[in-house]
Amino acid sequence: MSDAYGVPPQAPPAEQRTGPRATFGQRLVAAIIDGVIVGVVNVILFGALKTAGSGLGSLLGLAYAIYFEGSPSGQTIGKRAMSIRIVDADNGGPIGYGRAFVRYIGKIISAIPCALGYLWMLWDPNKQTWHDKMATSVVVPTSAYPVAAWPG
Amino acid sequence: MTASSRSLTLDLHDIRVAGGVMLGAAAVRAAWPGHAPGLPCPLRTLTGVPCPLCGMTTSVTATVRGHLGSAVAANPAGLLFVAASVALLVSPRLKAVDVPRWLPYVALTLMWMWELLRFGIL
Repeated sequence: MSDAYGVPPQAPPAEQRTGPRATFGQRLVAAIIDGVIVGVVNVILFGALKTAGSGLGSLLGLAYAIYFEGSPSGQTIGKRAMSIRIVDADNGGPIGYGRAFVRYIGKIISAIPCALGYLWMLWDPNKQTWHDKMATSVVVPTSAYPVAAWPG
Repeated sequence: MTASSRSLTLDLHDIRVAGGVMLGAAAVRAAWPGHAPGLPCPLRTLTGVPCPLCGMTTSVTATVRGHLGSAVAANPAGLLFVAASVALLVSPRLKAVDVPRWLPYVALTLMWMWELLRFGIL
């Protein structure tokens, strides 16, 4: 063991993966679940309140993402169903509500060039999307990063 | 600089799933009676500038239909993506592959150049 000889362990280069990451399939299914939940509520609000309901629905989508992704668990309902969560890329802790807001804005930017920002995780060493990079977050399996309480 | 820092390890499981979703969507579009549903590229709608993935829906659907000329005209990468997705689906044991770190960026740049030329921006 290198530690026994007083040699400090070398930190992996930043561009290398430092732990297990959620798969593309897990993230896709989680996004579909969240999309259906928010979408159904949006349709109901639009049906009941028309234009005002549409605006309210957009705010609800924003609040849903910030509340759940910024919570200590970092899990939306979809991510909880898929046993994955969002954590800080540097220390594995929660990203908090401020960075969850940045991540939400980042999702819009990721979607604009034909969702290229989402697909970026397919070749990114840390499996980060553009919105993950903007919020310094990674999406990980709960088997490796257990959740104490949900939403926490 | 070590060899590992110059290369990128692609997780083929993730790419296989993404490719499978892409082929499934293309098969539905190809079988769709009349004009198949699809979303316009938000970037081109907002700015008039295509993104590197512009034409991919058309290209992949045309490839699945066997209309290779139309596929190449829309975005030649569609043919490659379909071929790679089929190859991955019939090779489930392949888990990962090392590629040069620059490959995704060069591929996206070439795709973007094609689209910028196609729309007369370059």
